[in-house]
Amino acid sequence: MSDAQAIPAPGARRAGAAWRAPPLALKVVAGVALLALWEAIVRAFAPTYVARPSGIALVLFKVLADAQFRAAAGATLWAVAQGLGISLVAGTAVGFLMGRVAAVERGLRYYVFSLFATPMVAILPLVTLWFGYNADARLAVVVFASFFSIAINASDGARSVPPEYLEVARSFRARPLATLYDVVFPASLPYLFAGVRLAAGRALVGAVVAEFFISIPGLGYYILFNSRTFKHNEAFVAVIVLVAAGVGFEVLVRRLAQRYLPWARRA
Amino acid sequence: MADARIVVKAAGKRFGSHQVFRNVGLAVGSREVVAIIGPSGCGKTTLLRAIDGLLPLTEGEVTIEGTPVAGPREGVAMVFQHFGLFPWKTVYQNVAYGLKLAGASAAVIAEKVPRFIELVGLTGFEHHYPYQISGGMQQRCGLARALAIEPRVLLMDEPFGAVDAQTREILQFELLRIWDMKPTTMVFVTHSIDEAVLMGDRIVVLKGRPASVHEVIAVDLARPRTRATLAEPRFVELRERVWGTLMAEARKAEFDVTQ
Repeated sequence: MSDAQAIPAPGARRAGAAWRAPPLALKVVAGVALLALWEAIVRAFAPTYVARPSGIALVLFKVLADAQFRAAAGATLWAVAQGLGISLVAGTAVGFLMGRVAAVERGLRYYVFSLFATPMVAILPLVTLWFGYNADARLAVVVFASFFSIAINASDGARSVPPEYLEVARSFRARPLATLYDVVFPASLPYLFAGVRLAAGRALVGAVVAEFFISIPGLGYYILFNSRTFKHNEAFVAVIVLVAAGVGFEVLVRRLAQRYLPWARRA
Repeated sequence: MADARIVVKAAGKRFGSHQVFRNVGLAVGSREVVAIIGPSGCGKTTLLRAIDGLLPLTEGEVTIEGTPVAGPREGVAMVFQHFGLFPWKTVYQNVAYGLKLAGASAAVIAEKVPRFIELVGLTGFEHHYPYQISGGMQQRCGLARALAIEPRVLLMDEPFGAVDAQTREILQFELLRIWDMKPTTMVFVTHSIDEAVLMGDRIVVLKGRPASVHEVIAVDLARPRTRATLAEPRFVELRERVWGTLMAEARKAEFDVTQ
């Protein structure tokens, strides 16, 4: 094997990427400085009920242990998970159809893009008319917020499958369904992952905004209620949980991509 | 030819108003390698795709084993210049792809895939992804994928056109070795004169606009062919002959361009 020269497995490449991320110390210093600035400004200029780092730290564990808070967090995150799940399945199906069937693409393209650009807040009053002031309305908003970014990415992915792969599939006599599963789906995965990342952020926003408007138990409503009753520190714990959920999901998707799509960045 | 496995009759292909080739006739025996050579754009690859059933002809027909080709068929495998490996599949999974589509059982796949990976010299790289191996190794994988379905017709579309010169030579002799072990019908499209002479029992020279078969050159070099074949006077003679045929055309083409 004189032409054999293997490139090391993807894990081995990590060392080279390290210099790009700031060292941990720098992150910690910046974080502490920002918190100190926040603390100082609030202490100097704001009323006592305004949230500040030390106040949040004091209530953090009490709030996290509170059954009502947990129920609220569970309700919001579960709605986001359900909505994302629905959008993922339906959005992928619609996106693949748009990507592979020209007639579907031509028919739906403008509507999908228009709805993608529609601010979800604008349709909230309508959603409450259709679904009532309940959790269904929240779920509908989450689906509306996340569906189109997944559908658009899935269709981009399905449309941009390199023709060479499709040619190979045809040459080996793959049936259309086998090609969808063996070629179109894996080739679209990097696009789908990008779509899901975008959709997750929008879904979180959708859930919180829906709760603001509909006033059903959830983190959004928890924030609203505690803000109005001058418990800003408690409200901020909910904000932290939302941020953690968003960042956590982002990290999860990125890990999954590294684990299962090691080829994607090089293909 | 009595035992011709592939017969191309009066084949022509037009893309819109552009006639790529016309009136191409060709018969390939069951244990014969036919090399197709010609200037860029003469339709070598298009003709090969038509033989594979990937493209319909606008005139004439292709028959394989006596029946007209209407689409890709069982027993015919193609090796692509672009390799066509799926980046999300490992070497093992890529080699298994054709077998899986042909409906091979898990037991057959488990037996055959390692055997063909070994045949092309990729043992130890089964679980590497294409991006982790060199271009030459990628094409070994593409070759194994085609061979694994044990095709009766092997179609090679400039298979070594995208690898470097040394690797190309190594792969040529590997392919000759593999072919000698199990001679089968092979159509080998190339733009390398050396490769055409080394691989082919006959060389079909396509020329003209639209292209047609300009000349068929019999290659009477003994098999098995090895590196020593390259040094034979007859090899050099044949190469010069093909070169002469092609270069007249190439000069003219260049002259056309500079006009």
